Amino acid sequence: MTTTVVLPKVPALGGLFARGAGLSLARRVRSGPTVLPDVEYVVRGVRASSDHLTEYQHLLGESASDALPAGFVHVLAFPVATALMVRSDFPLPLVGLVHVANRVTQHRPVLLTDALDVRATATDLRGHRSGTQVDLVTEVSVDGSVAWRGVSTYLARGVRLGGSGDEPATFVPPTPTGRWKLDGDIGRRYAAVSGDRNPIHLSALSAKALGFPRAIAHGMYTASRALADVGAGRGDAFEWSVEFVKPVLLPGTVTVRVAGSSEGFTFAGWDARSGKPHLTGSVTPLR
Amino acid sequence: MARPTTPTPEVRRAYVLGGNRIPFARAGGPYVRASNQDMLTAAIDGLVARYGLQGERIGEVAAGAVLKHSKDFNLTREAVLGSALSAETPAYDVQQACATGLETVVSLSNKIRLGQLESAIAGGVDSTSDAPIAVSNRLRRALLDLSRAKTVGQKLAAVAKIRPKDLAPVAPNTGEPRTHLSMGEHQALTTAQWEITQAAQDEVALASHQRLAAAYDSGFFDDLVTPFRGLTRDANLRADSSLEKLAKLKPAFGLGLDTPATMTAGNSTPLSDGASTVLLGSAEWAAAHDLVPLASLVDAEAGAVDFVHGDDGLLMAPAFAVPRLLARNGLTLDDLDYIEIHEAFAATVLTTLAAWESEEFGRTRLGLDGAFGTVDRAKLNVHGSSLAAGHPFAATGGRIVATISKELHRRKAASGSDAPVRALVSVCAAGGLGLTAILEAA
Amino acid sequence: MSDTYLNLVNSGFTKKVAKQLGLPQPSPLRRYEPGQPLLQGAVLVLGRGSESDALAGFLSSDWDLDVHRHATPGTRYSAVVLALTELTHPDQLSEPVLAVGAVLKELPKGARVVTVSRAPRADDAPAVAAARQGVDGLLRSLAKELRGGSTGNGVMLAAGVPVTAPSVVGALRFFLSTKSAFVDGQLLAVDSTAGTLPDDWAAPLAGRVAVVTGAARGIGASIADTLARDGATVVAVDVPAAGEQLVAVANRVRGTALQLDVTADDAGARILEHALQRHGRIDIVVHNAGITRDKLLANMTPDKWDSVLAVNIASQLRINEALLTSGDFTDAPRIVSLASTSGIAGNRGQTNYAASKGGVIGMVRATAPLLEAFGGTANAVAPGFIETEMTARIPAVTRQVARRLNSLQQGGQPVDVAETVAFLASPAAGGVVGRVLRVCGQNMVGQ
Repeated sequence: MTTTVVLPKVPALGGLFARGAGLSLARRVRSGPTVLPDVEYVVRGVRASSDHLTEYQHLLGESASDALPAGFVHVLAFPVATALMVRSDFPLPLVGLVHVANRVTQHRPVLLTDALDVRATATDLRGHRSGTQVDLVTEVSVDGSVAWRGVSTYLARGVRLGGSGDEPATFVPPTPTGRWKLDGDIGRRYAAVSGDRNPIHLSALSAKALGFPRAIAHGMYTASRALADVGAGRGDAFEWSVEFVKPVLLPGTVTVRVAGSSEGFTFAGWDARSGKPHLTGSVTPLR
Repeated sequence: MARPTTPTPEVRRAYVLGGNRIPFARAGGPYVRASNQDMLTAAIDGLVARYGLQGERIGEVAAGAVLKHSKDFNLTREAVLGSALSAETPAYDVQQACATGLETVVSLSNKIRLGQLESAIAGGVDSTSDAPIAVSNRLRRALLDLSRAKTVGQKLAAVAKIRPKDLAPVAPNTGEPRTHLSMGEHQALTTAQWEITQAAQDEVALASHQRLAAAYDSGFFDDLVTPFRGLTRDANLRADSSLEKLAKLKPAFGLGLDTPATMTAGNSTPLSDGASTVLLGSAEWAAAHDLVPLASLVDAEAGAVDFVHGDDGLLMAPAFAVPRLLARNGLTLDDLDYIEIHEAFAATVLTTLAAWESEEFGRTRLGLDGAFGTVDRAKLNVHGSSLAAGHPFAATGGRIVATISKELHRRKAASGSDAPVRALVSVCAAGGLGLTAILEAA
Repeated sequence: MSDTYLNLVNSGFTKKVAKQLGLPQPSPLRRYEPGQPLLQGAVLVLGRGSESDALAGFLSSDWDLDVHRHATPGTRYSAVVLALTELTHPDQLSEPVLAVGAVLKELPKGARVVTVSRAPRADDAPAVAAARQGVDGLLRSLAKELRGGSTGNGVMLAAGVPVTAPSVVGALRFFLSTKSAFVDGQLLAVDSTAGTLPDDWAAPLAGRVAVVTGAARGIGASIADTLARDGATVVAVDVPAAGEQLVAVANRVRGTALQLDVTADDAGARILEHALQRHGRIDIVVHNAGITRDKLLANMTPDKWDSVLAVNIASQLRINEALLTSGDFTDAPRIVSLASTSGIAGNRGQTNYAASKGGVIGMVRATAPLLEAFGGTANAVAPGFIETEMTARIPAVTRQVARRLNSLQQGGQPVDVAETVAFLASPAAGGVVGRVLRVCGQNMVGQ
């Protein structure tokens, strides 16, 4: 029987991270649970603010529509999933969890004026060649029907639950269609609109403390840039999936290709010098 | 192209009556202190002097600049007020990137064709030497917030948002806003896609220099160009250029992209400063002012490509617009006596020609039965083009229209026949835009 | 181009010093401005005979001047006209000339003395010829004695030309007016009764289309201004390289600019095409374009010699040929060509320039008869030292000396040349055929 936890409002990520960090430390000392809690977190009547939306659209290069970009819905809804991840009975430590993939299904536009009901669950705890993965599923409903559904896949490196997963496909850089020049402060700027103030994104100093040579770009920032580059061709309903391969160090330059395919659009971002990919993905219009 | 078209409605003709431009300078050259307004005014004044239009109330003057200061919101009108034209001459600004100049010719011609205007001056100007420098977005927003702030607290809060790096000025660049690739990098991708060699590009560049130099030497530009600031010919012109010299230049664009680099400073246009104007009028107005119609604007077609998603090269829009334009007018490439393709890069010309010669492109992208056609190189850019003259963005359309109109008139007069003499003008532009037009000798 | 010396000797302390030292005392010349009266005081017309009376009558009736036939004591005459056309013996000079002498000291600054006489001819009786030629020497000497910016010039009539012929009256008016401020000591021949007087002396070139070569700056620009002021529609021509200044001139005079190298083979055709196409006619061509490439002959190079000859004379011959054969240069056409005192008196280091300018004098003399059938003329203007960008480049000391080497003890202004060109281009000058008029302040050198 699934337990439903109804939160009065979307929690602030900052507090969740602090709590998650504490739990992670504790979990190093004693081993945690090996199954996912059978629980769903719910927040009802979430509303976006127009200033927040505008800030987001300007930063990502989205058109100034009153329909919420799929990445913006993620920004609004995902803290609910994070609340689930910082429960003491969640089997993986928040610190060190790596966002390796994200898949969003946008069934129909979510508007600025809509009241959003957010429901978050965790599913499919599974083994991977370098650790353990789990999917955080967030659904956003308007008037009782699901308009947006996001599946965020996280990897806990070194946490072994058995199983090996797939070997990564080799990446051959395609003909580019563009380039992102990412300033050193892009992590702080995306943190400001997303609330995700994970220290690995904020400054070289704070990133170093967590084992990165420099700050790294938010994965969802790069995925959302790619979605913005697809533009209006994605339509009102689409599936948007991305795999994050190698983090983008800041400041940095990502060479990108965002191009039409038989089903819709594919995109990739890579380091032109090394030829190594940062992210790959697709945007496929539905119906 | 199989699509239903309505024939161009019967309207009167609009004629090109002449033109004037200042020599194009290289950025940082003799026009380094000249503003867009200075240069446009000089170009208008030269036109006024050539055609005796002092104190004349022209129907309308339209011009524009790609790189424009915000203080120049009424650039063309200000230039008119500073010129020898009547101060009662109305004016408006146009901006369509590098197609600005040609668009002013097209839109003003259409007004004349409809009887809305009797006379007009089309034009364009650009200065990369006096380019506008803006403050950063963050500083701008903070300053605007500050100006709106009422309390000390609000003011402090606005100021506190400013970071030292926000104070760095922001200069314009030729980067595409959506792809952040420069125009040269975009063309480099297209160049590689169509497998255009550096040698082929250098040949286009050499022909441009040789033909422009020959035109100057023969006095062809005596009534098209008025010196400015001591410059009497286009500063970029290298009459002594050679394939050997061009071949020695190192690739300048496409570095860092995963495609072979073939584009050099020699086969790409330099950043330039300059201005051009074209005098347009109805037959009646021309007769009343003892002016000889040189050519008329038959039709025009704009195009655009989705370069953002890599469907086509950034500068390939004319490859699509021209087939539509010719089809609507029942013409083929063979019916044209002159073909003017703006040389943004030598490779731009060559990729356009290659696309038209490609069976596959013709079938899949143009919807034709096969290749669109082949351009006779002898008809192409007969008096040189932007590679030699330089390319002050908005000024290029006026340069081409004035030059080819004079040539059309000359050819027709020399032929002594009533057979139409036609020219195609094609200008590619930032944003994946292209503007093309057909001119016919009067 | 300012003349500092001229300014110094005409003001305050330095004026006094200059006078005590006996330095040259040039006087600022008064120039023409629209609306200016022809003369600012009475005119004394001396000389006996019916022609003398006719002239006095014309000045009084047609131009409404205050004409005196005898000097009235205490009157400061702004001009003296010596009507000497009826001289038959040198003895007859005495009375009128001494009468002039009596009023000279009372002349105001910028006064005018003009002789009207007949040109001596080989078939004149010796005494007649002596009297007529005597006027030449008299006038040139008298001009040298005048001070305060006053000038002396003469009109010299061919046989059969009445004193009221258009060109006599036109030349007399030009010499009396401030338009001839820097013309001094010159005798201008009137060869025929051709020419017409203008309806409006303020716009003698109304309805005429004039082409001015070398119009972008200096003397050429001033010629364009002056012809436009006199009512002409001006086609301003200069080399493409001078286009920027040419635009300023063309727009100032509300004419049209034609960028053209006059040495081009088709220069004449292009001038004709432009003038006819844009303005419907062509009446006046002023050959002003000219260059200097000074070098002692011993050091002369072919390019220096050839380019000067090509621009300064060969181009004019070719353009004139095109004009004459066009059939469109037939309504009292005027060619006015710029010669130079160097072409008359010679100048060290200017063999090429002087050859070209001497050539101009020969050219107009031979071209004028070809135009006579159409009521046309060709004449030359020979400037002396004129304050221009070109003379500003002469070394300072040489320049100071050159300026003072004339009766007016100063350099002329471009407008002085332009006024003379405008006069020769006017309908009234139709009787002046193939002549050279110097604008040199009576330079000491040459004829």
